[in-house]
Formats: sequence, structure tokens, C-alpha cells
Amino acid sequence: MEIEIDSVSSPSKVKEIDGLLADVGYKVKSSELHQVAQNIERLENVIVNSSSSDISQFASDTIHYDPSDIGNWVDNLLSEFDHTNSLPYDFSQLSDLAQDQHQHHHHHHQNHQLKVVTTVEEDSAIKLIHMLMTCADSLQRGNIQLAGSLIEGMQGLLTNMNTNSGIGKVAGYFIDALNRRIFGQNNIIHIENDVLYHHYYEACPYLKFAHFTANQAILEAFNGHDCVHVIDFNLMHGLQWPALIQALALRPGGPPFLRLTGIGPPSHDDRDNLREIGLRLAELARSVNVRFAFRGVAAWRLEDVKPWMLQVSSKEAVAVNSIMQLHRLLGSEPDPNNPSAIETVLGWIRSLNPKIMTVVEQEANHNEDGFMDRFTEALHYYSTVFDSLEACPVEPDKAMAEIYLQREICNVVCCEGPARVERHEPLIKWRERLGKTGFRPLHLGSNAFKQASMLLTLFSAEGYCVEENQGSLTLGWHSRPLIAASAWQAVPETLRFDH
Amino acid sequence: MVHHHHYHEYMQQKIRRNTSNQQQQNKRHKFFINDNIDILREILKRLDGPSLGVASCVCRLWCNLTNNDDSIWEHLCFRHVLTPPPATVRPVVVALGGYKRLYMVCVRPVLSRLSESERVMKRVWTRHEVQLSLSLFCIDSYERLAGGGGMIASDASPSSLMFLCNPINV
Repeated sequence: MEIEIDSVSSPSKVKEIDGLLADVGYKVKSSELHQVAQNIERLENVIVNSSSSDISQFASDTIHYDPSDIGNWVDNLLSEFDHTNSLPYDFSQLSDLAQDQHQHHHHHHQNHQLKVVTTVEEDSAIKLIHMLMTCADSLQRGNIQLAGSLIEGMQGLLTNMNTNSGIGKVAGYFIDALNRRIFGQNNIIHIENDVLYHHYYEACPYLKFAHFTANQAILEAFNGHDCVHVIDFNLMHGLQWPALIQALALRPGGPPFLRLTGIGPPSHDDRDNLREIGLRLAELARSVNVRFAFRGVAAWRLEDVKPWMLQVSSKEAVAVNSIMQLHRLLGSEPDPNNPSAIETVLGWIRSLNPKIMTVVEQEANHNEDGFMDRFTEALHYYSTVFDSLEACPVEPDKAMAEIYLQREICNVVCCEGPARVERHEPLIKWRERLGKTGFRPLHLGSNAFKQASMLLTLFSAEGYCVEENQGSLTLGWHSRPLIAASAWQAVPETLRFDH
Repeated sequence: MVHHHHYHEYMQQKIRRNTSNQQQQNKRHKFFINDNIDILREILKRLDGPSLGVASCVCRLWCNLTNNDDSIWEHLCFRHVLTPPPATVRPVVVALGGYKRLYMVCVRPVLSRLSESERVMKRVWTRHEVQLSLSLFCIDSYERLAGGGGMIASDASPSSLMFLCNPINV
């Protein structure tokens, strides 16, 4: 199919060509075609100039992304071969940068025929990544002096870079975190965590996705029940519950009697934050004629909550809702005599016999013991998250959301032992863990998927994608899943065989 | 005396002719739309959003009607829905802020966003889209409840739906 790249002028013609491309299955915009054509030329040169051993290794080892997304596909192929010439779109190539330094020079010599057009900015970015990796590595080895001097070097580099977006901004946060780890700075921004959480909710779709998906699963589980009880492991401002109250109000057959138990940290001042949120939710429920009762449970840590505090009655259908809370329980020391925190909590959840447990967790592996592994993972993950935040036009939400994420980054990088609570684990590990402690997965269903997809089309950026993963849903940015939502049910005791 | 009688008859005939002329004139201008608010309401119900906006600028009566009569907006919100929503929806929408607010804050931005992302202008809403709009509307209503208390930072006008009102192209 012939496509004229240069003469596309009118917007209607652009749309027509985009439509034609989409019809034959290509995810590429006609405005990008010029760049893609140039990259294909470069790729051709690179393949011609490379030795045969490189090509065979490339063919057998590399994972190629979806070829219908031509632009990214060609970029990925290019960066496999030639690290100097294109800054990768996604940072999954970054570990190659750090580890294959000698190969980097090797390729450079081979491709001297290609015009190496790297701007000062790209050079600095690559240098910065390399220094970050080296700094983390030296920290792991205990070489504090080298780490410190690298930090100074990086801070110097940053002064010449754009720190308002892209790699400069993310690197800035990580350099700051490393600095804190070594020198323990204390310039903490005093903003309440729930305020930051609210702004994070507004700025990007991750929490909305979590809430809507969990609510859909809970709604379906409560079908046919007249007394229902939701236990929220982290109430915050209660933003998840208005939509559920409204959906229950409109369900065929009328709303049930809804009890909500909200768990949260005790309030600092004289106010009772939990109770205030409860009152607001009660007012909303009253206005739409849903019988509602609220109870707040104040606890600093989830493992301090005991099941009797929740006052679950046997007549009600129970839903347990955990949005990014379970990973905080993974920090306790394994003790053969006492069960770990996660086992205790999962144990009493089972004892409540919930109809459904909704679990939403960050899709990342930030719980490795080795510092270097954790650091690298976190760099990839948060680079992608910040990338997606770029699309957010709403201030001050965006700035506050960044502070929220910065706190997470600092916890992952700076803290150890019980202080490190951001122990994210990917869905595959949660499946294993929950399976072993007597839970079986519930499929989330097509309604949840449709709702999530629709929610995303409403969001301003086009990089978000919802994927289905064995009955669970993940939301990601440009094919990197960032948050995973799943639903679980306790396996009845009689059917369980303990190992 | 006869002249007087003729004159009297002549005047009566003239008056009769004048009144029948006027009656004919009245028949031509008899129908004022502003005197028939029921019909006006029925017409306004069938307008689309932009036309309703224009209509509200015509005169004070039309402005009052469009601002205060929520049933006009109810038709607007659900005009593209395949099956009409159940009766239970109305009290919920009214409790959460009314159909006019539902349209301005949720339905209109959602519709325009969804039609931009597809090449063909959508004509029919699905049940899912209605439910999603209602959920978003409920969250907006809840956040406005918070406006009085100091839970969120002081500069928080409810912004959970702000993302709907911003341009798509990044």
C-alpha cells in the first residue's frame, strides 16, 4: 500500500491515512511515519554492518515487541544493536546499558559509518543512568566514598539537564534518595499522606482503575444479599465508596443494608478523621436511600488489627478490600515459632469467610534482598510511572502526585528492615502466596474489563492500556503493566489439604 | 330623526366591521409560544446541548425555564441511550445534584471524549457508559460534600472530573 509521507497536509487526510493504517493492523500515526522510515534506514545499515555473530545472538535471545506498533518495534530493534544512537523509549533497555559497557564500545566502532547524532542532552542522560547504576552498585559493596562522589557528579550533571520532565526528573528523585540513604537528610515535606493520596488519585488513572475494578467485583459478589459488609484496609478519604453506594442504590431489587468498616491510622490532632469520612459517606448514602452504617478502626499497622475489632456478623456477606496494603506486611522477620505478619492477617481474613477479597497491588518487584536488583527495578518502574504522569495537565495534582511517588521511591531505596514498607511484589508472586494460604482466584469478568477500558478512553493520554491476565486485570503504560487488580475467595476448610 | 337612525346604523356597521377585522388580526397573532409553556417545554426537551444553550439566551422566560426545569436536561442526558433508564435513577440523580449538573459535568465531556476516540460519531450509549457516568457523577457529588470540611487541601474544588474537561492531545 502506497502512502505518501511528505504531502500530508490537511487534518482530514491525516485522519484518513491513520484510519487506513489502522485497518491493516498497524498502530502508527502518519505523522510518525517520517521518523519510522528514517529509523528503518538506520536499522538496515546497522544490520548490514554488524557481524554475523551479533545477528544470530539477536535473533535467538531478544524479545520483539508487537510489530503492529511499528514505531516502537523499530526503535527496540535499533537499540538492541546500537546503544549510542537512540535513547530508548522505555527503560527496559537500561540494564543493558549498565552491564554491557564493553559491548557498547564494540558496537560504536562497527557503526562509525552511521552519523552519530546525539545531542548533549542524550549524552548526559546515558551518562546519568550509568552513574546511577554504578552508585547503587558501590553502595551494595559498601564503598560509601565512591558512592558519595558519584552523587556529587550526578548533581553536577543535573544542573545542565532539563529536570522538569523525562529522565532528568526521575533521576533527580533517585539521586536524592541515594543521598538520603548515605547522608540521612531531613528536609521532609510536611504534607499529610492522605492529601497526597487524593492528588495522586486525581492526577492519574491508577487509583481510579483500582477502585472501579474492585467495586465491580464486590458488586457482583454481593448479588442477592441483603446485608453486606465491606472492610476497607485503608480508608483515606473514602473515595472508593461513593460509586459503590450509588451502584447498590440502583441495583435491581433495591439496595442492601451496607456496613462499611474503614481501617486507617489514628489522627494526629483532636479530630477523628475516620469518623468524619464515615459521616460524609453516611450523608451520601442517606441522600440516595441506602441504609448505611460506618465503623472506623484506627491502627498504625494492619498487623495490629484483630478480627474481633471488625465485628463481623455471620448473617452478612463480607468483602475485604485491600488497595496497596498487603505488601506492607511482608517486612517482618521470618520466625519459625510465630507466623509472619502476612500469614497472620491472611489467616484472620480467611476466618471471616469473605465472599470476596479484592487485592490491588503495584506490579513491580521491589522486595528483592539485593539492593542493586531493587534499585534497578525501581528505576525502571518509576520512570514509566513518571512518564505516564507527564500526560497529566491538572495542577496542583501533578506536583503533589510526584511528591507521593517520591515518598515511595525513598522508602524503597533508603529504608531497610521494618521501616521499609513499600515491598511491592508482582501478581505472579501474590498468586503463589495467596494460593498457598488457602485462597483461590475469582475471575474479574468482562464487565470489569469494559469499564476499565472505558475509563481509560476518558483519560487524556493515549499510552495507558488495560490487559487481562488469567482473570485479573492490569493497567499499564505502553505495554508495561504498573498496577494489578485481582479478586479472591477463601477455599473452604474441608477442601483444603495442608502441606 | 331618520338621519340620526341611519347614522347610528352606519356607525354600528362600521364598528362591527372594525371588530371583525381586529378579530381576524387577532387570529393571525393568537399563538404566542411564551403563552404556551407546556409546548415550549416539549420543544426544548428535544434539543441537543448546544441548541439548548442558545435557547437559554433568547429571553428571560426561556432562560428561567432551561435553568430551573431539570426534566429538560433529563431528556438530554439519556436521549442517546438504547433503553430508557429505570425509574430508580431519577431520585438518585436528583439527590446527587440534578440532571443539568449531570449533563454539564459528566455526560457532555464523556460523550465528546468518546466520540473523539472513535472515527464515527457515536449515536447510541450503552448501559456501561451510563453507569460509568453515574459513578463519576456520584464521586463528584461526594467531593463537593467535602468542600465544607477541611479534609482536603484548601484549594480543592472538586477536581476528580477535571480530567474529563482537558484536551486529549498530549
